[in-house]
Parts: sequence; structure tokens; C-alpha cells
Amino acid sequence: MRRPRIVTPELQERHGNLGRLLAIIGGAVLALSALLPWSYGFDALDGMTLMFYPSPLQIMGLVLGLVVVLGLVCSRRFPVRRGRPVTGWLRGARAAASGALLYVAIILIAIAVELGGLVNVTLGGWVALVGAALAFVGTRLVAPGPRGTLYDAHARNWLELLAVALVMAAALFGLAYALDTDDPGIFVSFLVFVGTVIAALSGLGVTGWLSAVSQRHRSVLILAAFVVAFLFPFTQNGSDANMSIATQVIIFASAAMGLNIVVGLAGLLDLGYIAFLGAGAFMAAVVSRSAFATLDIHPPFVVVVLMSGLVAATLGLIIGTPTLRVSGDYLAIVTLAFGEIFRITMINLDGEAGPDLTHGSNGIPAIPDLQLGGFNFGKAHTLLGIPLGRFSNYYFLLLLVIALIILVFTRLNNSRIGRGWVAIREDEKAAEAMGVNVFGLKLFAFAGGAFLAGVAGSVKAHVDVSVTPDQYVFLQSAFLLAAIVLGGMGTVLGVLVGAALLVLLPEKLRFVSEYRLLLFGLTLIVMMRFRPEGLIANRRRQLEFHEEDEELAERIDDQIQPSELKGATV
Amino acid sequence: MTAVDVAPAAGRSGEAMLVAEDVTMQFGGLTAVDSVNFSVNRGEIMGLIGPNGAGKTTFFNCLTGLYLPTSGRVVFDGAVLPPKPRKVVLAGMARTFQNIRLFGNMTALENVMVGRFCRTSSGPFTSIIRGPKFRREEAATRQRAQELLEFVGLGQTTDSLARNLPYGDQRRLEIARALATDPKLLLLDEPTAGMNPQETRQAEELIFKIRDQGLAIVVIEHDMRFIFTLCDRVLCLVQGKALIEGTPAEVQSDPRVIEAYIGTGQDDASELATELEDGPDA
Repeated sequence: MRRPRIVTPELQERHGNLGRLLAIIGGAVLALSALLPWSYGFDALDGMTLMFYPSPLQIMGLVLGLVVVLGLVCSRRFPVRRGRPVTGWLRGARAAASGALLYVAIILIAIAVELGGLVNVTLGGWVALVGAALAFVGTRLVAPGPRGTLYDAHARNWLELLAVALVMAAALFGLAYALDTDDPGIFVSFLVFVGTVIAALSGLGVTGWLSAVSQRHRSVLILAAFVVAFLFPFTQNGSDANMSIATQVIIFASAAMGLNIVVGLAGLLDLGYIAFLGAGAFMAAVVSRSAFATLDIHPPFVVVVLMSGLVAATLGLIIGTPTLRVSGDYLAIVTLAFGEIFRITMINLDGEAGPDLTHGSNGIPAIPDLQLGGFNFGKAHTLLGIPLGRFSNYYFLLLLVIALIILVFTRLNNSRIGRGWVAIREDEKAAEAMGVNVFGLKLFAFAGGAFLAGVAGSVKAHVDVSVTPDQYVFLQSAFLLAAIVLGGMGTVLGVLVGAALLVLLPEKLRFVSEYRLLLFGLTLIVMMRFRPEGLIANRRRQLEFHEEDEELAERIDDQIQPSELKGATV
Repeated sequence: MTAVDVAPAAGRSGEAMLVAEDVTMQFGGLTAVDSVNFSVNRGEIMGLIGPNGAGKTTFFNCLTGLYLPTSGRVVFDGAVLPPKPRKVVLAGMARTFQNIRLFGNMTALENVMVGRFCRTSSGPFTSIIRGPKFRREEAATRQRAQELLEFVGLGQTTDSLARNLPYGDQRRLEIARALATDPKLLLLDEPTAGMNPQETRQAEELIFKIRDQGLAIVVIEHDMRFIFTLCDRVLCLVQGKALIEGTPAEVQSDPRVIEAYIGTGQDDASELATELEDGPDA
């Protein structure tokens, strides 16, 4: 399917220079409008009422405007030279201009909503809108030029490391900023800004370069990412409000990451994955020191974690053994049913007919905080003069859990077993005929994924304080799957982003939490139509979703780096 | 039609590697393969021909464990073949497909590395901690895969996606992938289908080169010229039965083979005879 073209190449040929001029003017107007007030009332967004004193959101608009101007000017100044990596100046400018238009429009709407009517938008706001619109129309009139091929570029080592550090710092800063905002308008505008910046960078070819750099400095990148994640609680000044959200994000992301092994790597559709998380949580709950715990054994937490994982894995084996021999759809139905069976079993294990293990739908409340050695997870501790509350403690523990899951994910992906999974996804019959143990590998993915969910569940039981059957319903499985599909199947970063979005959006926007089924459903439909491989695409997955697209295959072929293939032995 | 004598051909290099004894395959009332006897010796290239619908592919599937024969048995290297494709590969028999079935979104090297799967055994644990066994096996797999790519003449296209390779190269990559499983016997299902004469000649050379490594090879093919220059012995199947087995020269000159290929009426000899007499200008 092709999208209809309003702007034809002929039109671009004829009006290219006009477009260039329009876009530069538009970008400059947008950038300068940041110096003007955008709204009459100070209450809207972050107070854009002052002349010559831009608010943070206005500065973001300024940045987008400058990127448009920069892209257009540089495309003239630095034409494409043979044999040199290409910077996609015009593509970057295009993305920035489209994003800027959306960004300004959302800000104006937010002002109108918060202050009651568009009359509250002042001249500056309209100027910004006109500028963004001019930039948008202008960049459309210019032919998009070549794609960026910066992934070929090698910079000096320290420069590359600096880039990694900058990206990480930006991530930390952005995360803290996003979590700090309680104004939905600011939150959405910021998300659009971040999305636009990423789109513009990808147009320029910088994201390609960054991914090549991160391939070259893998260990540095991973270390940096964990340092950032580790530092995050220190930016919160002892407040537990955001840390509570952060722990929820990590628990959700851990489960999604485990499911990603099953769905993203082995290509099995599991609609009842939340039951494995639940199995782990219940296991940890019934042996906890809660007054309501039903088993009178209290092994140390490390043992509990293993037990939870093993119980979940055993359930996985029981479900998987009969069903994995048949093809995909059956598995989806059986796992869907399994999720329900698990929930109802947990409700029925209330002692009325059979053993009392879970107290039925009341579940097991009052699970005490973890105590590892002399460290009590329930108490606030002070580190480096900064108080860290209960959720911060769990946050660090959960970081370890998700690090483990990510390690398992990437290492398996990049091994003999991972190759077997890809082969099965590509052509199951051929894989079998080449001696790949199809059933064994599928079962391993299924039970291994369940094990990791069980591990995450055992921590979740303590974080949540109580474990009840209605926390582990089908809808949760669906959300986990949605996080994977939205973020990008088979990727680490994509699934983390997807999970963060799916937890943060309802948390920050009441509007989203009220209509979340509708909104997520619509988002998924739109994604399936325009970008089935998810926000952050795994190259191989991207190819699988675009079997017909020869151009894409050629392009990805060019980008394959020898280092990527040798990555397995590093 | 009498059953063909399957006593291992004397004088050729070595003992029988694959022996099919009275293999019969029925689907409901249809007998696709009817008590076929067949043997392949070490270091021999065996051709399997027959008109469309003769049961070649069914017979092939019986050999590779995709089907369990209704009666009769297939003995490979002294043991009865288990009816599981994976176990067949482990036993030392590898195949290629009539319609190329590569893993299109993997690189050429990765495709061949998948072929090494059944000859390696790194488990999850060593893969996760990157233990010494994993490193050793991974390096050996990579090296062997690269050697095989060079062997079939694809040493330069290691990092290309399989789906981007030209048609002839895809066929050769499939052979390299099959060789990666360390087979003793290689089954090629129409290896030159869709190839131009030059590619066919290259395929021929490659198959001889593989034979010289001591492997036994079974080839299904429609290209008669190809099969008669390539094979040491040829088996002709017609309507599920073995029509004749012998050297290319014998098979080529057998009137029944000609009849089977150009005859239109079922077994109607007179009709066929008139057709042959009338010739093409009828």
C-alpha cells in the first residue's frame, strides 16, 4: 500500500527554493517567538507570559525552530560528497518541522483547555504557530535528499564516549523532568518534544551513528545506563511519590522483558503471562512472615526468589509441553485460558473446598518489608546526605532484577540458542530439517520466561504489601503485550520505553487513565498500520514485518556491521 | 514391471550407506510409493528421476524422516532411521529444498551457523555467563561456517542477508547450510531448478567436489542432461514403482523410461506406440 502523495517530486523540483526560503523563515520565526509571551494567564503550563524571558517549554520550541534552520542552511553549506558519510540535513529538518507544528498546536490547545478558550493565547503563541506551519509547508516543498549514513562515520574515541555520556545525562534529566511535572499539558508537550528530537536525529542519521557507537562501546553504554538508573533516586530528595511510580515502571518492565523472550525472541504468543508473575508473587506471599501467610516456613529471601521462579517455570512446563507441539494459535488460546484458570484457582483456594492457601479473593495482605542482612527495606536510609525512602530501597533491588533479566535476554539472543529461535521464527519446517531442536527451544523460552516472571513476582509481593488474585487478570497480560508491541519486539530499549510509557501515561494523565483501553487500542491499531515493528525496531523484526520491501532489505544489509556479528564472542 | 535388484552395486567405492527396503507409503487409498528398494553407497552420486507425480518427493520425505513409511524400512549407516527430521539430521543425513527455504532475514554466515546447531551443545547457562565452552564453540562454529561458505564459493558474501543473494547463490548457500550439519549423505531436491546453463555447470562442479569429500549424494532432478553427466547410478520411479535402476547409459536407453516420460495414456501401450510412430507432426 502506498500513501497518496499531495506533494509530488515535480512540485518539489519547481518550488524547491521557495520551500527552502519559507522553511528558514518559519524556523526563525518559531525560534524568535520564544521571546514573546504565548499566553495571557500565568497559570497555563509553565507560565509563558513574560517578554524576553522564555519558559522551559518555549525554549524547547526555540530548539526545534533552530534545528529546522540549521538543517536547511547546512544542507547547502555541506553538500553530499562521494565516499563520505552523508548527513541527512533535510530529512532532519523535515522531522523537526512536522514535530514543531504538532508541538506548538498541542501547547496552544493546552493553554485553551487550562484557561478556558483560545482567547487566552497571545500574539506570541500565534506567531509560533505560523512559524511552525511555514516551516512545515516549506520543508515539504523541498525534496527530502539522501538518507543519513552517519553510521559509517568513526569519530575519535573520547568524542564517542562523550556522546554516550551526553545521551545518558539527557535521559536522566528528561526522566526527572517528566516525572516532576504534574501538569498534563506540560507532560504531553514534553513527550512530543522528545519524540520530535529523536525523529529529527534519526532523520539526520545521528541515531544510526549512536547505535553504531553503542555497538562499539557496549560495556561503557551499559555501565552508563546503570549509573544513570542508579543515580535517579538521588534526584528525588527523599520524596517517595515518584519513586513509587519508578518501582511500578521497573516491575512492569521486568515482566515485559521476560515476556519479550517468549514473544520477541521465540515468536510464541503468550496471552496469560501475568499468571507466572502472579504465581511468583503468591509463592513469596504464602511463605512470607505476614500474619496471613498460610505456610509456616520462612526460608531466606534468596531461596524464596528461586522457589518462586521454579514454581512459575514448572507451571510453564505443564502448560507448554502439550501445547508447544501444535502451531501458534492454539498456544495463544491455551495461555489465555491458563491466565483465567490461574486467577480462579487462586480465588478458590480459600479453604471452602480444599486447602486454604490464598484466602480467596482477599489474598494475603500485610506482607512485611524485606530484611536482607541488617538492611531493612521498609526504613529510610541516608546515603551521601540524601535520604532514600522505602521505594528507593526496592528500586535498587528491582534494578538488580531487571539487570538480570536483560542480561539473560541479550546473552541468549546472541548465542546458539538465539540463532535457533530466529530460525524457528523464519521457517519452522526448515529449522527442524536442519537439526534445530524446535520443540526444546520453544519449551525453554516458555519455561525460562516464566521463571523470570516468577522472580520478578517474588519482589513485587513485597513492594505491593498485599497479593490478591485480581491484580493478575487478563488485562495485565494484554498491557504487557502492548508494551512489547508498542516499544519494539525483540529489543531491550524498545520494551523499556514501551513499558515506561504504558505505566507513566495513565499515572501522569488522568485523561489517559480514564480512557486507557480506548487509547491503547487505538494506538496499537495505528502502530500496526504504520509501524508494525514498534517504536524502536529490531532490524530483523523490521525485515520480517516488511517481507516485500526490497529497498529496506538493501539498506539494512549495508548497515550490518561486522562487529555486530562478532558481538557474540565479546 | 519387476522390482529392481538392490544388491549393493559391486565395485564402487565402499559399502551401502543408505538402504531402503520395500518402502511403501500410502495416503488413505492412494499408494504414492509402492515397495521401492534402493541403496546408496559411500562416495556415490545417485540420481532419482521420474515424471511429475511419480512419487519422488514422497519417497524423499520417507528417506528424510518427514513421513514414516506405511511398510518397509529405511536403514541408514546400519541403523533404522527414526521418523523425525531432527534425528535424521543427527544421524548424518542432510537435505536441501526444492523451493529454497533459507532463513531470509539472517545473513549468509548465520544461515550456515544454524546448520551447526545440531553439532554443538552450549546450553543456556554457559550462554548466559559466556563460559569457556560457549566461547570455544562459538568461535569454532563461526570458523567452520566461514570455511563452508568459502567451499561453496560464497566467501565474499558472508554478511549479506540471505534474501538479498542472487538465486544461484541462494541454492549454494542452502547446500552450505546442509553441509554444516556434518552429513554423511546429502539429499538435493532439484538443485538446478531455475538455473541458467552456466549456474548449472557450477552446481555440477560443486556436487562433484562434495562427492570427492567422501559424501554420498542423492539428487532429484528434471534436467536429464544434468543427471546423466552427474550420477553414477540412476533410479527411475514411475507411479510409485521403481521402473529401472542402473548406470545413466542403461537408464537413458531403456524404452520404458522414454515411454514413461513422453507417454500420455496411463498404461495404454498401443496409444503410446501410435503417438511415437506418428511423431511430433501428428
